Amino acid sequence: MQKEMAYSFPDEVLKHVFSFIQSDKDRNAVSLVCKSWYEIERWCRRKVFIGNCYAVSPRMVIRRFPEVRSIELKGKPHFADFNLVPDGWGGYVLQWIAEMAGAYPWLGEIRLKRMVVTDESLELIAKSFKNFKVLVLFSCEGFSTDGLAAIAASCKNLRELDLRESEVDDLSGHWLAQFPETCTSLVSLNISCLGSDEVSFSALERLVDRCPNLRSLQLNRAVTLDKIANILRRAPQLVDFGTGNYAAELQPDVFSNLAGAFSSCKELKSLSGFWDVVPAYLPALYSICPRLTSLNLSYATIQSPDLIKLVSHCPRLQRLLFLIQVLDYVEDSGLEELASSCKDLQELRVFPSDPFGVEPNVSLTEQGLVAVSLGCPKLQSVLYFCRRMSNAALVTIAQNCPNLTRFRLCIIEPKTPDYLTLDPLDAGFGAIVEHCKDLRRLSLSGLLTDHVFEYIGTYGKKLEMLSVAFAGDSDLGLHHVLSGCESLRKLEIRDCPFGDKALLANAAKLETMRSLWMSSCAVSFGACKLLGQKMPKLNVEVIDETEPPDSRPESYPVDKLYIYKSVAGPRFDMPPFVWSMDEAVKILH
Amino acid sequence: MGRPTSSSSSIDSPNHFAFSSTASSQRDLTTDLRLGLSISIAPPFVRYLFFPIAYGTDAFTVHNQKIYIFREQWPPMKAAVAEEEHECNSSTFYVKVYMEGIPIGRKLDLLAHESYYDLIRTLEHMFHTNIIWAEAEMDRDHYEKYHVLTYEDKEGDWMMVGDVPWEMFLSAVRRLKISKC
Repeated sequence: MQKEMAYSFPDEVLKHVFSFIQSDKDRNAVSLVCKSWYEIERWCRRKVFIGNCYAVSPRMVIRRFPEVRSIELKGKPHFADFNLVPDGWGGYVLQWIAEMAGAYPWLGEIRLKRMVVTDESLELIAKSFKNFKVLVLFSCEGFSTDGLAAIAASCKNLRELDLRESEVDDLSGHWLAQFPETCTSLVSLNISCLGSDEVSFSALERLVDRCPNLRSLQLNRAVTLDKIANILRRAPQLVDFGTGNYAAELQPDVFSNLAGAFSSCKELKSLSGFWDVVPAYLPALYSICPRLTSLNLSYATIQSPDLIKLVSHCPRLQRLLFLIQVLDYVEDSGLEELASSCKDLQELRVFPSDPFGVEPNVSLTEQGLVAVSLGCPKLQSVLYFCRRMSNAALVTIAQNCPNLTRFRLCIIEPKTPDYLTLDPLDAGFGAIVEHCKDLRRLSLSGLLTDHVFEYIGTYGKKLEMLSVAFAGDSDLGLHHVLSGCESLRKLEIRDCPFGDKALLANAAKLETMRSLWMSSCAVSFGACKLLGQKMPKLNVEVIDETEPPDSRPESYPVDKLYIYKSVAGPRFDMPPFVWSMDEAVKILH
Repeated sequence: MGRPTSSSSSIDSPNHFAFSSTASSQRDLTTDLRLGLSISIAPPFVRYLFFPIAYGTDAFTVHNQKIYIFREQWPPMKAAVAEEEHECNSSTFYVKVYMEGIPIGRKLDLLAHESYYDLIRTLEHMFHTNIIWAEAEMDRDHYEKYHVLTYEDKEGDWMMVGDVPWEMFLSAVRRLKISKC
């Protein structure tokens, strides 16, 4: 009797309470309390995040959550970014759209990452969802400007169209003109990935003119510098702006027009774009630098004192993406300058401009990163490419930045040892995981033995994602990670001597993770088959573009292996070079 | 992928996994160059390296073993979806050419030429002048009949045409300028 009273709130009250609970984790926890909470929660869940589109089927999602308004889906594994996943692997969104078109007429937001999106999918979206507001296609491919035209024409209340880093087939620049004159709702538009013919500039100008709420605009490389001023004067309320081409012959009137336009944008906090930077035009930004919190210069291939000077004008900078060019054998990275000017820096990404340089001895060293770790106490997220590193430097960085949550280091030449002692870099990365107790993401590089994995398994308790390449000596390394890292969700490994033993011994662990990728390792076909047989909750997929894995002995290692947990069973859209190890699926190819 | 098939090599052998080599890692330089020029080489699309590729190998030697790595796959950088500043498809590379004193420029397909000599010949014809470049000989008494050919490289510097090998020039050039002597 008394137990019943605890659950005697009317559904409406519970619904109202649940509406304050936004995070997926919390919502999932709520749904586990009891049957009636599960029921109430599932009817009022509005937002669904699916980290692996093959982990569940559209039908299952629709069945459980009938009233979804916003969905986020991720497709290909992360290593697809580096061309390790062959074209045609999968990640098609069409079936999802088709099923949701019937089930979710009020769907307003679709966010996709690394998925294949066809024009047919885009047309279906345009046709099916009357209240469509947000379309984010992050690193997607498979569609053309025709699909975009359908979206523009039909989505009367579109707020956000973000195509960042997607591959778009250029058919016509006139899709932008498809936005009706009545469309004034745009808040965010990112067309930075488009090619030269894919945007009609006059249509863009008119669109910007009639959207007073536009806060975020990223132009594409085809937009020339002289046009920036026109756009900015039409949208002085912008908070986030991506330039196109930032190059032109220096002309005083163009310069002053540009500088004036920038200075009229009082809310501007974030800049990106900057293809082909001509340094003489950088001072046009000086008026807004004091307000800038985010600066993406990763396309600016010209290194110069002017670029470093620009950064030193930005004391409030929190996020910096930077392309390092090293001139004349002297490292002039500007990172020391950064360390002294930008005390608020939280995120730093440093890319090399010349990874296969003619003179590989020209060094990108650890010094810049050490300087930033010393000068920027709020540093949380690092992606850093370099040619040399030492354990001592890593220990220093770890001690200076105990708040790091993401640390990705890429020493360009694989298996590079500590340049001072020639030791492996185990101790250095060990210090990182030991001191940075909130570390969620880690990428390793350099010469590494099984010891580094021992450190990671011991200290990396909050680690969710680990990327490994050319590291380790034996299965023990993999075993340390799988048995020690309690929070591990994504593990991606390439070119490491990890084989069957660690994988089979830790098979159950794989059911607690989102996915495991292993390529050019030593996992045998036999072990893959065994995993597929014994672990029905896992999809075990072998990728081999040269020949079927069963045409070779079972002890032969597979080329690429992708294992992920799924309640949907083996997928139906595998191309000929992907084999499912599920017993129920016959290998027919 | 080529793999050692000797029966004596066990799966735990460190040699076993290191080879990612195939014949295609010995691509000819033209293909590498296309990658360096950010030109897509296969439909529907191919992710390609944005960063210029200079002369160099695509192999690393570690412990006396060559590890071949496809250029697209290492280092782990996302290929920038770099839209060509000049119109490009799989077999053309157009650059702008301006002659001093003439505001309207021309466009020229560099990939339609095989060498500097080829390029100079086209330019001389296009602009009706004699071109000075690194290997030209000039009649010093009639300098008014000559123009100097320079190019803008990826760093924004203007350089005389002809000092570096043709392929290296192709990967660095952004546009051309013909100036009076």
